[in-house]
Amino acid sequence: MATRRETLTSWLIITPFAIVLAFPFYWMLMTALRADNDLYDIEQVPFKFNADSPTLNNFRFLFEQTDYRQWLENTALIGGAVVLITLALALPAGYALARLSGGWGQTLGVAIFLTYLVPPTLLFLPLSRVVSELNLHDRLWSLILVYPSFTVPFSIWLLMGFFKTIPPELEDAALVDGASRLTTLVRVVFPLSIPGILTVVIFTFSLVVNEFVYAITFISVTEQKTISAGVPTELIRGDVFYWGALMAATLIPAIPLALLYNVFLNRFIAGFTGGAFR
Amino acid sequence: MKDRRERVDITRVDDELTRRELLRRAALGTIVLVYGSTGAKTAVAGVPKYRHKELAGTLRIIQWSHFVPAYDKWFDDVYVKRWGQANDTEVRVDHVNLAELPSRAASEVAAQRGHDLFQFLSPPAAYEDRVIALNDVVQQVERKVGKIGRVGRKSTYNPRTKKYFGFADNYVPDPVHYRADLWGEVGLRPTSWDNVLRAAPRLKSMGNPVGIGMSNELDSNMALIALLQCFGAYIQNADARITIKSKGTRDALNFMRDLYRRGMTSEVFAWTAASNNDAFLAGRLSLALNAISIARSAEQRNLRFNRDIRILPIPDGPGPRMGLEHVMGVYVIWRFAQNKRAAKKFLVDIGTQYTGHFLNSYFYNFPAFPGSVKNIPARLRRNTTYPNEVPGRYPILDRISKNWTTNVGHPGYSNAAIDEVFNKFIIPQMFARVARGDMTADEAMRAAHREMTPIFRKWRSRKKI
Repeated sequence: MATRRETLTSWLIITPFAIVLAFPFYWMLMTALRADNDLYDIEQVPFKFNADSPTLNNFRFLFEQTDYRQWLENTALIGGAVVLITLALALPAGYALARLSGGWGQTLGVAIFLTYLVPPTLLFLPLSRVVSELNLHDRLWSLILVYPSFTVPFSIWLLMGFFKTIPPELEDAALVDGASRLTTLVRVVFPLSIPGILTVVIFTFSLVVNEFVYAITFISVTEQKTISAGVPTELIRGDVFYWGALMAATLIPAIPLALLYNVFLNRFIAGFTGGAFR
Repeated sequence: MKDRRERVDITRVDDELTRRELLRRAALGTIVLVYGSTGAKTAVAGVPKYRHKELAGTLRIIQWSHFVPAYDKWFDDVYVKRWGQANDTEVRVDHVNLAELPSRAASEVAAQRGHDLFQFLSPPAAYEDRVIALNDVVQQVERKVGKIGRVGRKSTYNPRTKKYFGFADNYVPDPVHYRADLWGEVGLRPTSWDNVLRAAPRLKSMGNPVGIGMSNELDSNMALIALLQCFGAYIQNADARITIKSKGTRDALNFMRDLYRRGMTSEVFAWTAASNNDAFLAGRLSLALNAISIARSAEQRNLRFNRDIRILPIPDGPGPRMGLEHVMGVYVIWRFAQNKRAAKKFLVDIGTQYTGHFLNSYFYNFPAFPGSVKNIPARLRRNTTYPNEVPGRYPILDRISKNWTTNVGHPGYSNAAIDEVFNKFIIPQMFARVARGDMTADEAMRAAHREMTPIFRKWRSRKKI
């Protein structure tokens, strides 16, 4: 009986949250499926459709009359590259700060994390100079170079906490058995850190997909844009918003990301809370 | 002389494909693809003047994504390609959302690298030291088509330094859009601000409030500065001295407070540039001040009240009847631009021949040099190919553009101080404070004056005003 009551209470708490959180997706979907005229018929919005809706015209417009497919590819390419760079830098740095630096590790970790808090709206001006000096303006490499400046600090801080949850005795045992520090890292620590690594991967990729300021200022060539820069450029024309296509453009990358989060939800939570109790 | 070269029959199909042939074709294809994607500089449209020749120069342009997509298509694929071929220059045009233009400009200046031609949508006087003077360009165009219009000149010329810091190719009239069916029920027309105030309570009770924004965005800025002018109030005088503390400002603020309370809703404090369009097109608003994007969008969507949308000049007030340009297209050439010569030539040509731009923007872009488009009234009387265009809707734009449109900063020039006041949205904030009841008109006026004083002082000390 107590179990049923607990279940009911859980549902009562969860349901409103779920509705609030799912509503943007519902809104995106409904808007994306509406014909333009239907969208401006306030009698119908948000629950009913007019005769010419639902329609896939907005999706068709997106793929046939804009470079959306190219922006998706660019975003995926940059996202993949930034994830690799972030892991390559954050894994050893996070481990070193967690294990090898003693009391300084924590202080340095916090200092590195603080750099994450400097907003891109301040940083884009000096970084413009850097990108220009490196001759990377209007090239995907500009974003691949710049994005780790905010993904790496956060990932180091996150992984640092996670590495601290792994008992040092496991590493000691491997070292006693003759493994080198690197072997210990690769064979013992990293396999145990999968939730943390996955969290970094998902989080980094999400940040790259969402980032706007650098994407809009460093790249102006349409074919080189990412989703976050290309969509508002092509689908917001002056004071006219192409709402249907905008929502379709937002929905498409949101779905795989949402699925990714759901599939790895438990590991994701473990990754974020890994260092919470140490 | 007869061409003796062997002709290749591109319709011939070889049935047999050897491995050697396959590799040869693959290699050839790869070379073509790599060359095409990285280095090919031959333009592809129009009749090429320099056939099979790599174009000599490169010109890079950045401008907004025009609200008429067909205009961008024409500009990028037809106009620019033809100009490039005629001038032996490869032209690349990038587009950004209008709200991103300021950050993009700041980024290019910081990097000292970017586009040769940068088009702003408001006079960028604050960048005067970062751009080259364009007096020679303006003079060349004037020699060909006559004097630059008053709005264009006062938006791009600095009388203190005697420089044209930008080149105005176009400006956009900013008429009133109203629903004739709704106003008909009230028995009034928005020909005067007094009529707007009288009709507002009834319109609001019908569920169709008046929509004039009071937030940090372009449309609010334009509408409210225009309202000030209609009450005889101005940000500055002709000598660039602040004049915001005036009876006219007080009257305009009190008027807007009353209008808001009687006939508007609180959403106007959180509007974006698109909000008045969306609310009007959704059938909610009875009146909005905006460029013709509202009317054109209604036509494009063939909304049920499309034929009830009317366009009028700014309503008459106690002061002179004077509205503003809605958008001011101003090109600048950065000091660091790589191809200044081609950029100047491009501007001379665009300023001289603006008919295509006027027509392809569906009467949105009006020429800054009036002589560059012949017989505008007759062209406005003729319908364009825009879908569901309502006959007779647009001829009024000619009179609006000539008689009731001025520059931001009127009666002075659109100088650097005005640029900063405009981009800090001091005027919409002043109106919002009074409408919300946070301040009295006098307090808000004094607060705005306090904010403007250091701005004007700064630019005066820099000898820009």
